[in-house]
Amino acid sequence: MLHPSCTQHRTGQRPLFSMANVIQLTLLLICCDGMNTETSPSPQSDPGITTQKAVSKGQNQVIIEELAILTPQKIELLCNLIDIPNNPPNITGYWTKDGQEIENSEESVNRNNEQYILKRTFSIEARDLGNYSCNFRENEAQVTFVLDVPAIKDTRNKPVVSYIGDSVVLECKLKLKHTPNTWNWYKANDTEKVLINVTANPQNYKIVINGSDTKLTVLNLTEEDSGKYICSAEFDIKPRESYVKLKVLSYTEPLKPFIAIVVEVIVLVTLILLWEKCNKPQQDNSSAGENDVCSEQTSKLAGDENNGVNNTARQRKLQP
Amino acid sequence: MEKPQKTPEEQQSSPQMVAPDGGWGWVVVGSLFVSSALVFGLIRSLGVFFVEFVQYFGESAQAVSWITSIGLAMQQLMSPISAAASNVYGARPVVMMGGFLSGLGFILASQATSLLHLYLTMGFISGLGWALIFTPTVASVMQYFTLRRSLAMGLGFTGVGLASFAFSPLFQYLVEAYAWRGALLVLGGLSFNMIACGALIRPLGTPKVVVKAENASKLNKCSSLLSRIYEGFEISLLSHRGFLTYSMAITLFNAGYFIPYVHLVAHSRHIGFTEYQAAFVISVTGVADIVGRVASGWFSDLGRMRMQHMLVVWTGLLGLSLMLIPVAVVYSGLLVVSVVYGFCAGAMTPLAFAVVPEIVGMERMLGALGLLQLIESIGGLLGAPLSGWLKDYTGMYTVSFIAAGSFLVLGTFVTMTLPYFWSCTAPPPPSPSQKKSQDESIEDGLLKQTLSSNSVPEILCPSDDIPYSDKE
Repeated sequence: MLHPSCTQHRTGQRPLFSMANVIQLTLLLICCDGMNTETSPSPQSDPGITTQKAVSKGQNQVIIEELAILTPQKIELLCNLIDIPNNPPNITGYWTKDGQEIENSEESVNRNNEQYILKRTFSIEARDLGNYSCNFRENEAQVTFVLDVPAIKDTRNKPVVSYIGDSVVLECKLKLKHTPNTWNWYKANDTEKVLINVTANPQNYKIVINGSDTKLTVLNLTEEDSGKYICSAEFDIKPRESYVKLKVLSYTEPLKPFIAIVVEVIVLVTLILLWEKCNKPQQDNSSAGENDVCSEQTSKLAGDENNGVNNTARQRKLQP
Repeated sequence: MEKPQKTPEEQQSSPQMVAPDGGWGWVVVGSLFVSSALVFGLIRSLGVFFVEFVQYFGESAQAVSWITSIGLAMQQLMSPISAAASNVYGARPVVMMGGFLSGLGFILASQATSLLHLYLTMGFISGLGWALIFTPTVASVMQYFTLRRSLAMGLGFTGVGLASFAFSPLFQYLVEAYAWRGALLVLGGLSFNMIACGALIRPLGTPKVVVKAENASKLNKCSSLLSRIYEGFEISLLSHRGFLTYSMAITLFNAGYFIPYVHLVAHSRHIGFTEYQAAFVISVTGVADIVGRVASGWFSDLGRMRMQHMLVVWTGLLGLSLMLIPVAVVYSGLLVVSVVYGFCAGAMTPLAFAVVPEIVGMERMLGALGLLQLIESIGGLLGAPLSGWLKDYTGMYTVSFIAAGSFLVLGTFVTMTLPYFWSCTAPPPPSPSQKKSQDESIEDGLLKQTLSSNSVPEILCPSDDIPYSDKE
């Protein structure tokens, strides 16, 4: 009936937080395979129980525990309160889901060696995922268990860029190392999503699945391949989705700044070399006989009279 | 006649003697600034592309990092060829060709379909282009300055530091907007700007080998070609004691110099600092590096101490600070040591180049630079893998930092054995006429031959001399 094989054992410890007058909250988890979906709670004498401690610093500290739920199951959540001032014989505790108090969850907790233990078993299906908190009427302490499917790592929100005719690799990775049953990729078209079928389209798509991450390779890109690609991690309880945006550019895009820079370089080089040739005759007066591009231009600008004067001066020099 | 006899010697020595020390020289410094930014600043910021390459080609990070290794190796190994080419054709055409090649390499890389293509284009072609750019530009700056040489070099090299700051966000933006192919294409265009930098390098005189070749025009082609090669590559330097000592010292410096750039971040994370703290250490080191270059250049030009002594001071301090890095376990201590390291590393760079003409003379400086880079590449190729191996073997970075520091201190000691080191004043620079008598008896004989003919005045004298001689 009960399968103790699925026990979540986590030793997350926060060693820096233990202090003397601190309210200590401990939690206990028992999980069982939800093969039969009866909601009758009966896991108390389960031998496969592992405990996990979460310590809070100060009365008003709020602890948040994230639990990854992959399959529908029953979970017992346990809160352990210690170091309460005045040590009353009993206190009242209740559970809330997503901020709303769960009906009939309030119960009185008796003191047990200076500890107050509040526990409850929940049967979790897809619609039951959420934030469960144990609260106490007399105390501000609170522990929240976030029950959710494992999350996918957020890719940079900028789109992946590639070129027509090129290929591109889109990747989705889970934050922690859980293994979904499988991964599916979809292409989003305005309102609906279309499943990408590799066997039907092997020359355009390739999908590689590697446990907690997956890669979609799109080959022979065209403009229509731009858009949103949705990766879906299929868990028993509920799929987890994320998306990657792809933008396909044509080769003329980067050519524009490239051509601009090349034109600038050509202009600069021409200017530099021209300027040097122009400055040469001024520095080197004796080279008036040379056929300089710049001196011809300057002589044209200066007018024919000047030219005549220069020429006669040269001729006078050469004749001894 | 007096004039034809004097002018050939004058023409040979005057290009090297005339150092404007200002004026157009500052434009050449600007050209060095842009060139060093577009060569070394670019190489340092290529990390952005590596992430893309790893994902696109599915190769390991180590395989991708070979791209920069090949590029840097090409830049250093091809330096003698670049120096020889400048000796034959002058610095300007060589640098312009280098700018074209480095841009071409990136443009071809944008079409790559495998990692091998990237090795060939970004590694070999661009690396060759960088070699053709760097050595002649540095040599030209040194030709243009004598009194303010170190300051000019320091200012020119600040391009590297500033570019590393500016290029990382720029490259990130280019990759996000155009993917790595488009970004490489744009980078190729940017590299073409070095063609313009090359155009700015106005020659100060005819290139060495051209002048000597004109005098040797009577010899048959084969041995003139050999002597041209001998001249171009400055192979005569291999028997020069000062040069050999200095090249050994530089090799040792090179072995230790790059190790912190590779390991400082990893070391900071290793001892427990956060990513941002480690990145801040690197930024602080970079700023100290830039300041160190300019400050050291300015101070050395004041002439209080000889350049070789200053070089010893900076490299000694650098070695010591490297050995102190593992000792600094507190964050503030690490920051202080890193600032000292950055400052000394920057201070050493302009001096390491500016000292070369003092050792080998201005005439052979270009070839010396080329050969030096070739020899020092051995240090670089040995240093980084050795430190990596030491880290793997001992599990900590301590030993590799100490090894790097000891390389530098060893290099300092070798520098102290340079000829004329222990004298208080600089030795007279080896004059061109002395050198001629040492190795070119063939050239000497030819010179006397050509002097008696009338061909020399037509080649070397400006045209206005002819009317005067006709008058007489």
